Formats: sequence, structure tokens, C-alpha cells
Amino acid sequence: MSKVGIPRALLYYQYYPVWRSFFEHLGAEVVTSPPTNRTILTAGISRAVADTCLPVKVFLGHTMSLIGKCDYIFIPSMTSFGKKTYNCSKIIGLPNITRAVLPECPIILDPNIDLEKGRWYFYHQIYKLASRFTSNSVKMKKAIDVAWQKQLAYRKKMSDEKITSNQALFDLYGSSHSASSQKNPQGNLTIALLGHPYITNDEYLNHRIIYHLQNMGANVLTSEMAPQTAIDAAATRAVGETHWAFEPDIIGAGQYYTEMKVDGIITLSAFGCGPDSMMIVWVEHRAKETKTPFLPLSLDEHSSGGAMLTRLEAFLDMIKRKGTKLPTPTPAYC
Amino acid sequence: MKLGIPHFGNVSVSIKAIAQQLGATDSLIIPPPMTQKTLNLGVKYSPYEACLPYKLTLGSLIETCELGANTLAQARGSGICRLGYYAKNQEQILRDLGYSAKFLTIDISHNKLISVLRLIKNLANDASWYEISSAFFFGISKLFALDKIEKVVQEIRAVELEKGTANKIYHEAIRNIDEATKRKEVKDITKEYIERLNHVEKNNKAHPLKVGIVGEIYVVIEPFANMDIEEELGKLGVEVERTMTLSRWVKYSLFLNYLGADEWRKVHHLAKPYIDHDVGGDGWESVGEKILFAHKGFDGIVHLAPFTCMPEIVAQNVMPSTREDIPVLAVICDEQQGKQGLLTRLEAFVDLLEFRRRKNGRRIYNTR
Repeated sequence: MSKVGIPRALLYYQYYPVWRSFFEHLGAEVVTSPPTNRTILTAGISRAVADTCLPVKVFLGHTMSLIGKCDYIFIPSMTSFGKKTYNCSKIIGLPNITRAVLPECPIILDPNIDLEKGRWYFYHQIYKLASRFTSNSVKMKKAIDVAWQKQLAYRKKMSDEKITSNQALFDLYGSSHSASSQKNPQGNLTIALLGHPYITNDEYLNHRIIYHLQNMGANVLTSEMAPQTAIDAAATRAVGETHWAFEPDIIGAGQYYTEMKVDGIITLSAFGCGPDSMMIVWVEHRAKETKTPFLPLSLDEHSSGGAMLTRLEAFLDMIKRKGTKLPTPTPAYC
Repeated sequence: MKLGIPHFGNVSVSIKAIAQQLGATDSLIIPPPMTQKTLNLGVKYSPYEACLPYKLTLGSLIETCELGANTLAQARGSGICRLGYYAKNQEQILRDLGYSAKFLTIDISHNKLISVLRLIKNLANDASWYEISSAFFFGISKLFALDKIEKVVQEIRAVELEKGTANKIYHEAIRNIDEATKRKEVKDITKEYIERLNHVEKNNKAHPLKVGIVGEIYVVIEPFANMDIEEELGKLGVEVERTMTLSRWVKYSLFLNYLGADEWRKVHHLAKPYIDHDVGGDGWESVGEKILFAHKGFDGIVHLAPFTCMPEIVAQNVMPSTREDIPVLAVICDEQQGKQGLLTRLEAFVDLLEFRRRKNGRRIYNTR
């Protein structure tokens, strides 16, 4: 039985159930890399060009940890998920970057998922991918159907139960996916945490931000906890025509949660993220208009958990004091 | 209407010519040349992680707004990098600054020609399509003339005896072409200046190093963004070539691509083993062009990219893995760069190329 490796980074958090069930139905075994740790991060950083963003470096580290443990590595090139909406260049070129930077990598399965090119192109790509494992097209069709249903159920589970991807994956696949945060905590503040799922769910990269926020007495809402249709609609309300595939996750969720009147918004982005540099400005603008407290956080390989905790504490203190009247400070000299 | 456009290479020369032909000079505001002030304005009001072209075009648009522009032209589109988002974001920033300017966007991913013509139609207070198209062709003839002269300048700069002569002539040519009012005049000026350039005193024995310039279109074409890298290389005695020019963009993107020509067919084909589909922006082209320049027997490549440019980061990661090992100097452009630092790197790079040439001779790759 051939083994397919899936690196636990980037789009993994959004699409793991569909990928896993697809390969399992085709009769392959799925191997996943361990959660991010120091070794993986340094390995990734050592190979990529310095300007590459942190999530891609982490991705390369995960891929390196899979070398020797599987026959294939699955790195799809997720170009476009709908009419005129595209992904970030680095995600589109991910198989190419990996192949160039890690020549020792086993065979890379790189279907090009580009719905802009139409249905037949998509079917062709999936067929090409599946035909490595089976020549039975009925089996392929069944694998696709089951996988897609799994994906829909996964997305619905997150928005219904209001849980993060990590927690949902733990419920579905158990032990290897543990999350330090709790489900549905009863905090007295509601904070929306906006960011790509691959940053908000990678607990090594984000220094367990959700756990810390919950400890400080906040309920954390991420984009996965809102229904997909609602954030899609909110994104269209905010900017009109969408341009990027993650616009609903950041702008849409930002719009949705400000309309819900959350107590504060925190955005979490990786340094040098192209789409984020443009989208966070929108969320900030929206927060300013509605007078919602706003904290932008940016992560890179040098960020430390301690500094982040201080900023989170200060931010939550500010929200708690908002509205309460402070005593008028007495002038220092009269 | 007062139309303002961001500064980009020689675009303003051609837009000005179009406006003059249509008698709409009053409704066009020519952006002042880029200076440190433009950059400072752009940096001050942009999101801090935005790329250099964003900051420069924003700075340029603010300057045109100060001169009284109330309609601004900016690119838009899908399937490309952040560029698709510029107009949406900059409109908001300008509104916050108190300029009530409307944006006229040029769709550069789909209906390019139509949106360019629509922009001109708006500029010309509904002149007839015949007038518009003749003015348009006159405008782009200036672009073609300038690029033709520039190509000669790039060759002469490397071998001229008195450094800076070719550049002086080139700037004079830009001024003269800018003032020309007929197509015949443009043609004569081009001929005259190419003649003058060819008669510049030069070192006939010199066998200059050849360097290809690849990268993101804005920083490649706009000399302010890349700190006049072509001129500086010329001073070091290096002949520069770049495929990406404005006239080429006009020729292919606005016309020939509609007729079925594929501008980058060869380049894409060469890049296929490393990148097999579009990654947005100019990333795919950069990799292909590196290989193409290597096949043409160039000594080195300068890869220009704005800081945090997504497609160029893909290209940077992929470039070292190509079979053709030709030296590549990656120059990242942003507001923090200093000219002296760049010059030191260029000198070291040129030394390396000279050493390599002495050692290997010229290596021409099998093009098959």
C-alpha cells in the first residue's frame, strides 16, 4: 500500500478531511507530519530564501520531516476556488517552491485546482491524481463524493459547534491533533481573532494565543466558527467583488463580527504576508468606524510569546476599562 | 474632470500626447517626477507591509491630488498579485485624507484594450472613436520611439568614453519627443537621436559584460524605484538588456494577444520544468527569462523585486534550481534601500562576472 504524506501546514487546516478521506478511499495510507516544533521551524528556515513568509518556511520544514516516511507527498497547487478569486502566489507556486528548494523530496502529487479554468479542467486534474492509485473510475467517483461530503460536514461542524479547526480535527481523528484551548468557554468578553486558519491553528507559531486569551477571560471567535455563507456574504457587503480566496476569512469575518458587536478584534498575520497587508487595513478601517477596539499582531521567526502576552493583557485591560469612568487625574502641580 | 495618473516610466509622455491631440490638455494632470517626497508621502499613508509600487503610486497620486486632480487612474484586475487591490485600498486612503477623488480603473487582467480606450474616452469629453484611436496611436508611437532610443542608450552607456553622455542625450530625447506634435516629427527625432548616440565617442575595443534585467514590471521599468540601476551598471561598463518595456506591454497586451499571439510563449516554455503554471504577477516570466538570457550567452542576471512581492519570492526560491547556472543578483527594492549599498553590491557582482568570464570564456547553452 502506497503512503501519501500530507504536511501539517498551510491549507491542511482547511482541507485535511477531504484530502485524507479521498486518499483512503483510493486505498492509500495517509501519513501526517507532527505538530510544528522547533526542529521543523529551523529546518524550514534553513532552506528557503530569507524573504519567504513564515508559514511557507514552516511548510517546508513539515515536508522535510516527511521525507523517508512516505512514497508521495501531496502538495496541491490551489490556484482558484471560484470565478476571479485567486490564492496567494506562494500557495499557487507551492509545489514548485518545494521541488526547487527540497530536491531530495519524494514524488510530489501536485494537482492544479483552478476552478477559473472550468469544471473539465478540474475533473481532469483529479482524474490524473487518482489514476496513480487506481484505474477503477467508479472507485474514483465514489472517493470524490465521500470526500466532499466529509469536507462539508467538517465545515458545518466547526460553525455549528463554534470550535476551531484543531478541535474539530481532534474530534474526528483523535490524539495526534490536540488543542490546548477549550471549547465554548464562558468568558465575559468576546474577542474575534482574525487570521488565516494556518496561523490561528498552529499553536507553535501563534504561541497558543487562543489558550492565553481564554485564560484571561475571553471567548475567542475565529473565522471557522462563522457559517461559510455568512462570511462570504459579509465579504461581498464589505468590498464588493472579492479578489482573494481568503477574503471571507479576514474581511468577511471582520465585517460579520463587527456587525455582531464583539468587544474587540485581534488580527494575527505573518510578517510579509501580501494579501494580509491589504486586507487588515480594511478590517482596521471597519473597526475604527464602529469604534471596536483593534489590535494587529504580526508574527515572524523572532517573535516571542512573552511580548505577545503583555500586549494581549494590555489590550484586554483596555477593553475592560472602556466604559468605566476613571477618576479625573489630579494635576501634578497647581 | 481633472484626470491624474500615477507616475510610471514614460507613461505620462504618451498620455500627455493623447490629451493634446484630443484638445483635452486642461483635464489632465501630469504627475511631477518622482522624488524622495513622493516616496515619503506614499510610505506615510500606506499600510507598512505594502509593496514599493503601492507606496510609490500612492505618493504619486497624492501629489496629483494636491495639483487638483479629481479623477484618478489606477490598475485593477484579478489573478494577479496585490495590484488588483491597489485601487480599492488607495481610494479609501485618499478619502480618509480628505481628497474626494473618483477612481477610474483599468482592468489589466481581462478587457485591457477596452478599459484603456474607455479611460481616453472619459478624458476626451466623448470625442468620436476615430479621433480617439488616432490620438491613441500617436500617444503609443511616442512610447515605441522612447523605448527604441533607450535600447541604443543601454548599449552605448557601457562603451562610451565619457560616462554620462548617452544619458544626457537620452534625457534630451525624452524632452524633445514630449514636445513633438506630429507622428512624422516623432519619427525624425528618433532617427536623429539614434544617429547622435551612435556617434558618441566610444571605446571600440571594449567587449562589455552583458547583464539581463528581470523582475517585477514596476520596479524594472521605473528608474526611481530601482535607483537607476541600469545607469549605474552602464557606468561600470556593463551592457544591460531587459525584455520588459512599456511598448512591449502595449504591443502584446493591448493588441497582439487578442489576435492569438502569445507574448511569453517561449519564456513560459523554458520555465516549464520549474514552474508549470502562472503564479501571478511576473514570477513565471522572471524564471523563464533567466533561462532565456542564459541561452543567449549573457554573463549575469539582475533580479529586481519589491520587498514582500509574492510572485517574485516564488521566482527567487525557484531560480537557483535551474540547470543553467548563471549568476543572479537579487535586488530587493523598498524605501529603506540606500544607493551606496546598492553600488557596492553591483561592483562586487560585476567583479564576479569579469572573473567568471576570464575563467570560462563565454558559455552558450544548447537551446534545445
